[in-house]
Amino acid sequence: MEPLMGMGVLALMGAAATIAGTTEDLESDVGSQSNPNSQVQLAPQMMYPHRIYNKAISGEPPSNALICAIGGTVASVLMTASLSVIFAIAIGALVATAVHGTYCITAYMGRTASQKRFRQPIYLDILRSHTPVMMGYAFITTFCILVVSYIMVAVLAHPFPLTLLAFIWGITVGAIGSSTGDVHYGAEREFQNVEFGSGLNAANSGNIVRKAESGLRNGIDNSWFCAKFGGPVTGLAFGMTVFLSGWVTAVFNPATSLTMGWLSVAAGVILVLLMIIWNRKIEVAARKAFGPYKEEEEVAA
Amino acid sequence: MSAGGAGGEATGGIPQNKLIALGTLGGLAGAYGGHFLSVASPAFAFIGALGAICAIVWGGAAVRRVASYGLGTGVPSIGMMALGMGVVASMFGLAVGGIAGPIVAFITAAIIGLVIGVLANKVLGMGIPIMEQSMTEIAGAGALTIIGLSVAMTGTFMFDAVLETVVATGYIAVIFIAGGMAILHPFNANLGPDEKQDRTLMTGVEKGAITMVVAGIVATVADGASAIPSILIGVIIWYIAFSKYVKLVNRDAYKVLGTGLLPTEEELE
Repeated sequence: MEPLMGMGVLALMGAAATIAGTTEDLESDVGSQSNPNSQVQLAPQMMYPHRIYNKAISGEPPSNALICAIGGTVASVLMTASLSVIFAIAIGALVATAVHGTYCITAYMGRTASQKRFRQPIYLDILRSHTPVMMGYAFITTFCILVVSYIMVAVLAHPFPLTLLAFIWGITVGAIGSSTGDVHYGAEREFQNVEFGSGLNAANSGNIVRKAESGLRNGIDNSWFCAKFGGPVTGLAFGMTVFLSGWVTAVFNPATSLTMGWLSVAAGVILVLLMIIWNRKIEVAARKAFGPYKEEEEVAA
Repeated sequence: MSAGGAGGEATGGIPQNKLIALGTLGGLAGAYGGHFLSVASPAFAFIGALGAICAIVWGGAAVRRVASYGLGTGVPSIGMMALGMGVVASMFGLAVGGIAGPIVAFITAAIIGLVIGVLANKVLGMGIPIMEQSMTEIAGAGALTIIGLSVAMTGTFMFDAVLETVVATGYIAVIFIAGGMAILHPFNANLGPDEKQDRTLMTGVEKGAITMVVAGIVATVADGASAIPSILIGVIIWYIAFSKYVKLVNRDAYKVLGTGLLPTEEELE
């Protein structure tokens, strides 16, 4: 392939991945999946009943791997039956979304019913309003992951089948959504009533913010907050992962010579080192800029 | 903290030995029934998926028992491990076993599970009394789930056909994750101090039915299995199980409200 074409393909994959990462994080925020879920689950037990969707399908990686693998399976079957690629991917994502909806509903109803002794009611309006939102986000995520996987198979001639690639990218997008996006929901949103950077005191366990600007806070309010920064930054992280991991082999194509292969490895290592240094600088700058965290650090040291 | 399970032995409901019998006999009967009857007509391949549902319910019950010892965030991990052990055992069993493949795979899985259970208790020192038995059960359920779904997809458990239709095409990925989620999700979704066994197992049936539908979709491109019976029966089982699940939730929940404010302070006292 022409190097310029290769770059174009990579850019398309990066763009699709950025959207997938964003919607993946927002989907988990609507339903309070993953790390922030432990506090949503704990709240009723500490006498803080709430109107927040409690969706524990599992960690984000397996749950996204599930929808992407089901989407990939259906799309791959439809493509074998020679349906057009766009339709195959769209129908695959649709089936995956339906399955995701059932997982969301059983998780919310089941977990809430198991908190009977803490008097946490099941709110059906929460179920009816939040589940379609999560299904919508899950559809976009699955669709974009299938686009990335299909490009890898059809254009870049990746040896893995579509379903397996979708499965692997599903785990990846879930893992990045969990590690990058959760912080902006968990620490910043659930505990925005405590001082920034103070960490989670044991006495505050389960005391999540349950009241909104007007009325009671729900999962959609949380995704509104996370859509400002947490979601997009997750998308950027995932888009960069997809783009940069492909970029090193697009620039230094290992197929041309062994030297190029080693150069691509070296370029990858340099990129990782740059990221580590950059992240460290951000962390140090943040510690200097914000108060209590720094003081406590000094006392501890 | 009881957020991660009651911290003690799970109680109530159907005794585990009955569920072991259901999972083992049902799973093996499904695999063999689907395999032999598919020779007569590919339409019978769905029996394999029925076997897989039996194995999934058993696996879900085993996860429930072991995870009740406060294994909060470990529930998803244990489900993934079930299918991890299951994939290794079922590929080995089908490759060397021939017609005895499912039985060889099942025994292999049980041995792997037992070893991991012993390692978890003796080396890692997890100290969960039923760890060894539960890991053996979970691995066996994982292997039978994979074989049952493979039969539903291909109409046979002969290694060459499974390798060609299920593994090389990548559909093994969907078996792995959909089967694993079906085993781990029932307890994970119903986790809490007022969890009830029948509700958890009904979730297992419902999630198992979804894997059956997915297996049916894959069967459309396979020669030895028909898609329509698997998809149709899967959807019917899903509908029945989901309706029952919602009924059980209505039975168990504190309140099911259309909408409303939070419970008042007096109500919480």
